[in-house]
Amino acid sequence: MDDLLHAFTTELRRGTLTLAVLSQLDSPQYGYSLVQRLENSGITIDQSTLYPLLRRLEKQGILTSSWNTEESRPRKYYEINEKGYDIFKKLTMEWNKLNEELTNLLEGGE
Amino acid sequence: MKNLRIYLKEENKLDLIKVYMKEVTKRLPEKMRKDIALELESTIYDMLPDNFTEAHVEEALATLGNPAVLASRYKDSPMHLIGPKFYDLYISLLKLIIPIVGIVVFITAFVNRLHHDVGTDHISLVAVSIFGETLWTVISATIQTFFWMTLIFAILERTIGNKVNEPVTLSGKKWTPKDLKQIPYVPAKREVKLYEAGFNLFWTALWVTIYFNAQYIIGIYEGGTTLTFVMPIFNQETLMAYIVIIIIHLILEAIKFVYMLIVRQWTIPLAFGNVVVHIVSIVIIILLFTDAQLFNVEFIEYLANKRNETIGQTEAMITNIKWIIGLIVTAICIIDSFINFRKATLK
Repeated sequence: MDDLLHAFTTELRRGTLTLAVLSQLDSPQYGYSLVQRLENSGITIDQSTLYPLLRRLEKQGILTSSWNTEESRPRKYYEINEKGYDIFKKLTMEWNKLNEELTNLLEGGE
Repeated sequence: MKNLRIYLKEENKLDLIKVYMKEVTKRLPEKMRKDIALELESTIYDMLPDNFTEAHVEEALATLGNPAVLASRYKDSPMHLIGPKFYDLYISLLKLIIPIVGIVVFITAFVNRLHHDVGTDHISLVAVSIFGETLWTVISATIQTFFWMTLIFAILERTIGNKVNEPVTLSGKKWTPKDLKQIPYVPAKREVKLYEAGFNLFWTALWVTIYFNAQYIIGIYEGGTTLTFVMPIFNQETLMAYIVIIIIHLILEAIKFVYMLIVRQWTIPLAFGNVVVHIVSIVIIILLFTDAQLFNVEFIEYLANKRNETIGQTEAMITNIKWIIGLIVTAICIIDSFINFRKATLK
């Protein structure tokens, strides 16, 4: 039973990962700093999903990346761009709508 | 000695990282490798404290997870040979094609071997060799068909699979209710079973081959454990005189088989075709049985001898048997035609 709950929970979380990630990229972040930011807000992150996700979002034109070679080790920084910000805003609205719908269902409302 | 141990411990924990990196990047296409490798390595070291131990490394790598899974997520390519988009189509085609291949190869191989091997050796050895070779040919052909179909679908999955989002139907597009119109509704009573059709064709092909080689197969065998062929029953020359109509019958059966495969149920035209084939069978029987030269003269003498009667008596008995066989075959043909006509008119 625990396994089943774990599977459903993971599925639920995976669906919200993109929104969570986009919300933290208003300033440039690199992979691990993003992980820390999210975990500080109490969100558990599956890192094996996060890094490929960042790459994919960049490929889809939502993020831009740049390599920073000045510090102790080279780091790839990601930042949300104009198109990405637009999508982020709309996605947030969709999330709020979904939240409302689900809350209604769970509370037995109409 | 102590320094060597410390050195090795250092090497071990670094090796762990290097091996992990290699496991991920080796599964990635060349273009992606450098960028991902750099980012990944940087990330791993970010996760480790300043004086990290092997245990720290293991913990860090555990959060990243299975390198194969990580690599597949970077690649965004399927971790399966044939996925949900094409799987149903793949299985349906396999179920359709492999039985047909099996039947056709079986018939051709069997008939071929029969024609080839008969008369070359002792009958029991010949039978074993024919069955063995035929079975092997069928297995081999089936395996090859399976391989090629699987290969084609695996390639499809990796090429046009990216443009397709949902399982593909036989027409190649997304399913709509209109697709149902393509599938004829076949009530169970009217259905032509595949093995039934195949069996008929096989039976005919078998008899034709035996017919060709009757002089070696159909005859008197003597001896206890080791049977030896003594003489043929039929006059081969006579048999060969009717070869044209025999071949026509075989061709008609083949056409009937193909038509059955396409239509898959008993329709009126198919029932008519069935009757035609049966009529040809009856005509063949009549032609053969009314030919005075059908039997090998030596055979009739041998039989008369064994039964201690005159040739005339033996021939009379044979004529009776001919009548009985003729009537039985005609009855079977009529019944079969009737049954299938009834099937064809069922709603």
